[in-house]
Amino acid sequence: MEDAIEVEDLSFAYQDHLVLRDVSFRIKTGEFIGIIGPNGGGKTTLLKLLMGSLMPQKGRIKVFGNAPQYFLEHISYVPQTVRFDKQFPISVLEVVLMGRLAYLPWYGWYNKEDLQIAREALARVKMSHLENRPFGTLSGGQAQRVLIARALASKPKLLLLDEPTASIDTQAQAEVYNILEELTGTMTILMVTHDLGVAIDRVEKVLCVQNNVMLLTPQEVCEHFAIGLYHTPLRTNF
Amino acid sequence: MEPLSFFEALRSNPLLFSAIIAGFAASFASGIIGSYVVVKRIVFISGSIAHSVLAGIGFALWLERAQGLTWVSPLYGALLAAIFSAIIIGWIYLYYRQREDTVIAALWSIGMAVGMLFIAQTPGANVELSNLLVGNILWVSQEDLAILFLLDLLVFAIVFFLHKRFLAICFDEEQARLQGLHVNALYMLLLVLTSVAIVLLIQVVGIILVMTMLTIPAAIANLFTSRLSTMMAFAIALSGLFCIVGTAASYHLDWPGGATIALLAGIVYVVSLLFGKRLTEK
Repeated sequence: MEDAIEVEDLSFAYQDHLVLRDVSFRIKTGEFIGIIGPNGGGKTTLLKLLMGSLMPQKGRIKVFGNAPQYFLEHISYVPQTVRFDKQFPISVLEVVLMGRLAYLPWYGWYNKEDLQIAREALARVKMSHLENRPFGTLSGGQAQRVLIARALASKPKLLLLDEPTASIDTQAQAEVYNILEELTGTMTILMVTHDLGVAIDRVEKVLCVQNNVMLLTPQEVCEHFAIGLYHTPLRTNF
Repeated sequence: MEPLSFFEALRSNPLLFSAIIAGFAASFASGIIGSYVVVKRIVFISGSIAHSVLAGIGFALWLERAQGLTWVSPLYGALLAAIFSAIIIGWIYLYYRQREDTVIAALWSIGMAVGMLFIAQTPGANVELSNLLVGNILWVSQEDLAILFLLDLLVFAIVFFLHKRFLAICFDEEQARLQGLHVNALYMLLLVLTSVAIVLLIQVVGIILVMTMLTIPAAIANLFTSRLSTMMAFAIALSGLFCIVGTAASYHLDWPGGATIALLAGIVYVVSLLFGKRLTEK
């Protein structure tokens, strides 16, 4: 099967601070990958490189055979909810419609199809009943599901999530994981997480990022822990 | 004095009438653009643009009065200076963000200093200075009014076609960029539109009070609405209301118009902050 992501000899530094060194890995189409690693180890940097927000200083990244910048309409990113302004005047449906921005015609109005796709995405995360609610009034878990719906509205081939379960309660976390599990196979999913226990239960492979990367199966991660080779902060970090 | 006398004066005094019309023209653009300014949190940036406009106005007055170029209007100078400083600030935001606030404050004071120096070189312009700073809508000419409406139309047309994109860059720039929007160009355009709205408002309330009128109606509207488009409509209505009530009050009390309008807006804002908070916490 075609590789979804192909990274070769990638290095990236902020000024003098080397964050990623000679990173190489491949991810197959349709896999559900958990990304773990210590803070400052380069998880977020890696995501930003994969979605073309940062340029590699050395090495090569290919997403479905293209440089990420040429593949943006097929990449969706789900950020953490905490960075949004609670008082921003915007409805849930308007947020989800932003997933259709790439298809906005020159005159700048969404059409019926966009609206239908946005509503389907909302239904998929079980948030249809709240489409008119102001986004800022949602709970953390609800907001996170809306952001996932926004990402799905773009009909992505690659879905990137940055700690979708940070700062939401256990019940809401389970709902988010269920949604992601339902999506498995329909698109390639990369999820940064601090929650190693859940990651091992749910994902197919684990990408350990600490300046370098190791792509492991969940069983291998457990073995590494057993012999203490890999040190990851196990406590949840907010 | 009877309240009716203001409306009688409105009918008999064309200056007062065009003052109100100018107020409405300014309210329209500032309600729309002010809403973007508030949600995008570029209030401080707008303040800098508003104050550096003095450089352009001073220069235009100097050309008109001291150099005898009678066709030059302070409005042209204001527009040019506003657009120019919007572009400089946009450039700083995009390429020199580490010290953004410092550079913006510097631009703010340099602009005012240049304006003051030109005005000092212009005979008889000290009277204009107070008009410029606190505003005097009785000062607006018919030609200025026509330009104000033209600018309104321009702002409306651009926002009509680009609102969804502006909304996207205000809410989540990263996502907008991922979706292939030209985030930097849109940001620049939004700043230029802001500078146009500022020039419209300077006609009504003057440089010092521009920020009040650009941000307060939008900030009040933000407390009571949950859609950006509704917030804009509400802000336009509030701003128009402040203009007409403020002008009427200033007429009766013989207070300066711009300051009266801004003070009224300020009081309503404080009251709605205290009262509106309770509404949203429910």
